[in-house]
Amino acid sequence: MPEIKEKITSEIKRLLDEGLVDVVIGFKKEESPLRPQPAFFRKVEDLAELEYNGLCQNNLANYLTRYPQDTRIGIVVRGCENRSVNALVVEHQHARENLFLIGVPCQGIIDIKKIIAEVGEEVSEFSETGDEVTLVARGKTHTFKRQDLLHDSCLRCAHPNPVSADVVIGEPLPEGDPEMIRKAVEEFEGLSKEERYAWFKEESERCIRCYACREACPMCYCTECFVDHATPRWTESDISPAGTQAWHLIRAFHQTGRCTSCGACERACPMDIKMTYLTDKLNKDMYDNYEFIPGMEAETQPPFASFNLDDKKRFVV
Amino acid sequence: MTYILDKKQLEKVLKKWSADYEVYAPQKAKQFSAFLPLGSSDLALDEPHNTRYPPKSLFLPQTEVMLRYNGRLNRLEDVKLEIKPRILFGIHPCDAQAAALLDTVFATEENSDPYWSNRRKETLLIGLGCDEPPQTCFCTTVGGGPFNTKGLDALLTEMEDAYFVEVLSDEAEKLFADLPKASKEQQKQIKEVQDSAAAKMAPAFETEGLKEKLDANFDSEFWAEISESCLGCGVCTFLCPTCFCFDIVDEVQRSERVRNWDTCMFRIYSLEASGHNPRPSRKERTRQRLSHKYSYWLDHAGEIGCTGCGRCVRYCPVGLDIRAMLRAANALEMEPANA
Amino acid sequence: MPEHHHHHHDNPYDPIPMHILRAYYESTDRSLKTFELSFDKQKDCEAFFKAYNPGQFCQLSIFGKGEAPFGIASAAWEGEFVRFTVQKVGSFTEYIHTLKAGDAIGMRGPLGNGFPLEDWKGKKLVIIGGGCAFSTLYALTKHVQHPQNRPDYDQLVVIYGARSSGLCMYKHDIQSWYQNEDFEIHQAIDVPEEGWLHHVGYVPDVVKEVAPSPDNAVAIVCGPPIMTKYTLPVLEELNFAPETIFTSLEKRMKCGIGKCGRCNIGSKYICKDGPVFSLAELQELPDDI
Repeated sequence: MPEIKEKITSEIKRLLDEGLVDVVIGFKKEESPLRPQPAFFRKVEDLAELEYNGLCQNNLANYLTRYPQDTRIGIVVRGCENRSVNALVVEHQHARENLFLIGVPCQGIIDIKKIIAEVGEEVSEFSETGDEVTLVARGKTHTFKRQDLLHDSCLRCAHPNPVSADVVIGEPLPEGDPEMIRKAVEEFEGLSKEERYAWFKEESERCIRCYACREACPMCYCTECFVDHATPRWTESDISPAGTQAWHLIRAFHQTGRCTSCGACERACPMDIKMTYLTDKLNKDMYDNYEFIPGMEAETQPPFASFNLDDKKRFVV
Repeated sequence: MTYILDKKQLEKVLKKWSADYEVYAPQKAKQFSAFLPLGSSDLALDEPHNTRYPPKSLFLPQTEVMLRYNGRLNRLEDVKLEIKPRILFGIHPCDAQAAALLDTVFATEENSDPYWSNRRKETLLIGLGCDEPPQTCFCTTVGGGPFNTKGLDALLTEMEDAYFVEVLSDEAEKLFADLPKASKEQQKQIKEVQDSAAAKMAPAFETEGLKEKLDANFDSEFWAEISESCLGCGVCTFLCPTCFCFDIVDEVQRSERVRNWDTCMFRIYSLEASGHNPRPSRKERTRQRLSHKYSYWLDHAGEIGCTGCGRCVRYCPVGLDIRAMLRAANALEMEPANA
Repeated sequence: MPEHHHHHHDNPYDPIPMHILRAYYESTDRSLKTFELSFDKQKDCEAFFKAYNPGQFCQLSIFGKGEAPFGIASAAWEGEFVRFTVQKVGSFTEYIHTLKAGDAIGMRGPLGNGFPLEDWKGKKLVIIGGGCAFSTLYALTKHVQHPQNRPDYDQLVVIYGARSSGLCMYKHDIQSWYQNEDFEIHQAIDVPEEGWLHHVGYVPDVVKEVAPSPDNAVAIVCGPPIMTKYTLPVLEELNFAPETIFTSLEKRMKCGIGKCGRCNIGSKYICKDGPVFSLAELQELPDDI
């Protein structure tokens, strides 16, 4: 990891020195334990703060939609982030020629919640080496296999390598097995209707409508989200079951064919709600019906966003 | 009076109280603890930090029906405001102090909020102090402390086999009167535990002159810089025990006028019908949040509107740390650089 | 018929039950409609007028639609009713416009601080209004005009501009003001119209033209933000000190009683510490509007 961090730093330095970008989005050192922060590098001096490790849990593509299209942005992207960038470019959210992607093959993001479940929240030290993670919590040292602490989305990740980066830092990693997501979805589909609803109900009813999931998601960039409409009132803003269930379901549907399964939504949620099972299922359907995988390149419109005379017309009477 | 509550007796005592009160205590819900009615799950009193979801929800529910109308315009029906007596057991001093701060907003002489006041007057707060304050907490920085008694009816200090209970109100006295009393020696031991816990907490930022720095730098680019990674979600404000902003909306399908927690961090919070928004970007909204807590609260109530509970630090999805933001604010000049 | 339990003395969120006494269009384009509301319960009426001071506002409440703030456009002496003029701008006001005499409506108020009339006793009042923001200034003028109140104040100068004569509010009453030797009334419209006998031009220019003297005077300016923005410098040029210039502010509101946190400018809540502020007070507050 430290060599990767060094190489990222020198690449960003090159971009800034040569005036090729206006800003570079990456991560910087944590201020509070276990949380490196998204950072915006404009001066070479700022790079002393740069961080890159398994705790960098946010999808940096999220920040692209804040800038005008003509801003030249460098961005450190792992597998899912690169795909999110492609998905945004396809939706005309930024001009590709104004982006410089520093690709980093990803060993997976560590799920802080798994750390907390194992050792509690009082972690004072963290280090990772190859396949192991070492933590010091309340004076005791704990060592874990990296696999055991990865976020669930990362355990199922099929494409850890950036697909369209301008430069790649480090050696490519073996691609993942696309069957992993499919198997997880099929396992859920295999439950009875009652079991599935009970699971969904239990998860969604913890929701406090903080919209951290929405704000952490690169594909949720609507200026006015459907939950903010007063007329017509699509859904209540209450934390009643009707409101929170509608929120989770409709957001998942809006992500169909656009979500890159990065899991940033789950990692952002303060109430530990699982929600990727909804988007993974919808994306599986998208693949089965339209052979489309979001974000693999930046040319093809997602099926629900495009119209073609050859479209299957099954749903049109 | 200080009483001794043997840990082995705790469940029995709580059960006894349940005859006359609805007892809420921190219990394990999934992977983290929450204030739930007694009997929901296992008690979770040995975690060093507070519950994720703040107990302010027991006085200001996130969703609260204020009025019901019977479907025809302007025919009003009562919403029962009376509630049963309750005990909030195991609340930490930061959350109790926050409830006392919110009293200055809701339990005012003029236009007192009956929904808030009714819940407050029927609830006893039996606090549990923090002998191992987490590194993300900073109550001592903002005038509080891990064993502060503000807002509490009683304060528990955990020792080896028992909780030592300092009773602070007459009504709480009744709850503990049957228990053995602590000796002077034991009371001294408790004080040592309490003082050493507070001593473990280094000041997180300077509060002297902070208000003036924030006010003077209203137009500074500083606000754009520190809010650049902010997602603009509601995690910090919803989990905050002193945040109180709410929205009032008529839910037509249920014929109810409802209030819900709202947050100054959302774009639509201050959006006007004309389309004008006084706080159009994260810069203005972050400025509002920090200025409200560390400046305007001082104008309103003479106290900082933050009790250092640490939730915003622990659960911010992008790792923003309010302590670091305020240290950066303190480092600003009194005049903004680009005045 | 179900019993009405009205706790508005105990519950400040409970709307006072009212009925519409009179409803009539103010403007020829029907964008402005005036409603005069009467109280269902006498004790509500007494409590209201005991507390009422011109410059205050009320939240009008329609169950199923919500609430919105409106400036009170009547003086207490006019009768046991409360007048509001509503501009149709969105779904809520569009609904209110459909209401007619006899319809029920809820009201919470009086809210806000109102004009500091005690401080203004003995002074000259320069009242400057634009468009539909004139409603509370109309209430103020009506209050001052009453023979019991008139001796408390010195000269009265009223400057009121509307985009066109059709959009001018309270036309009939204002016409009678010209006969009143006791005060100056200056009406203005933006562009010339046939038959218009008064000023033509924007309010800031009319103020410049009228050039009221600042001696022993206070100026009260209520209008669309752009009008206020350009009028304040004119007053400052005429040597009105910031402590003597007053305005009424607006921001998105919900509770109206300083609890929901929404309408603040710095440490002041517009609903509770305002909506009336002096320019001196505003200069102390951050630019958060």
